[in-house]
Amino acid sequence: MKEFDLESMSREMPFKMPEHFLDDMTERVVSQIGKQRKQNRDRKIVALFASVASAAAVALLFLHPFGSSLNIPDYDNISQCASVDEVLQDMTAEELSLYSMMSNYYGN
Amino acid sequence: MKRDLSDSMQSQGSLSVSDESIARMLCDDNHVEQAVRLIMKKYGEQLYWHIRRMVVAHDDAEDCLQETMINVYKYRSTYSNEYPLSSWLYKIATNESLKLLKNRAGFTMSVDDLGDSLKDSVREEASPNADETLILLQEAIALLPAKQKMVFNLRYYDDKSYEEIHQIVGDSVNTLKTNYHYAVQKIKDYILEHQL
Repeated sequence: MKEFDLESMSREMPFKMPEHFLDDMTERVVSQIGKQRKQNRDRKIVALFASVASAAAVALLFLHPFGSSLNIPDYDNISQCASVDEVLQDMTAEELSLYSMMSNYYGN
Repeated sequence: MKRDLSDSMQSQGSLSVSDESIARMLCDDNHVEQAVRLIMKKYGEQLYWHIRRMVVAHDDAEDCLQETMINVYKYRSTYSNEYPLSSWLYKIATNESLKLLKNRAGFTMSVDDLGDSLKDSVREEASPNADETLILLQEAIALLPAKQKMVFNLRYYDDKSYEEIHQIVGDSVNTLKTNYHYAVQKIKDYILEHQL
């Protein structure tokens, strides 16, 4: 049987690599990496602006909470509210008759 | 400072720059492009031929090498200096080659079913004046299962030790030795059968 010595064979390849291929590839890769780095930088700047904007919005909420300008009575502190009798004293006759009609209607 | 380091690297010649220096530059945002240039200068040709022996066609090797280098940039933070830089680069290149072959095989076939089409590509891609025995050898390699092909190429062409191949491929040294043994046997059989 014929013996075949693989180790003694040439390590040469039957293919060719095009001339300047590696230099061209290097430039292409470096340019692509440059683009990716720029995209990453832009993304970081946008993220930074977004976080600054949300921090400002949160700070605004704490400084000027919603409803602070609406004069909503403080129902937790009932002593600050006028009593029903005080309110009735200030009503006109017309308002009183309307109040009495509504009280009867709602059963109060 | 950035300029000084780049200039000194250029004047020293890329091949003399240590892998440790390249790895450090790779993780430094100010020197990453310089590091990629150095890797291409030092390992570009080896990586190209490693990929080409796996995928055969130059166009495919070109795509794989480009993806390999982009991944080197993207995943540079995952490099650990407990392994040589070259093993890490070969590992990425091997994965990219396998990814391309898996895409080609699609859902219905496995990478190992691509042997015949890769073998046909060998003859199409061979230089007109290429030695017939070298073509036969590449045909025999193309017909090998992917794992045996990887191990054979890394040992036979890249002269890697089994320990280095283990770092690249991941299997145990004994498994790698078995793969190499079977690969050599199949290649010898193919060449003896087809040699004029």
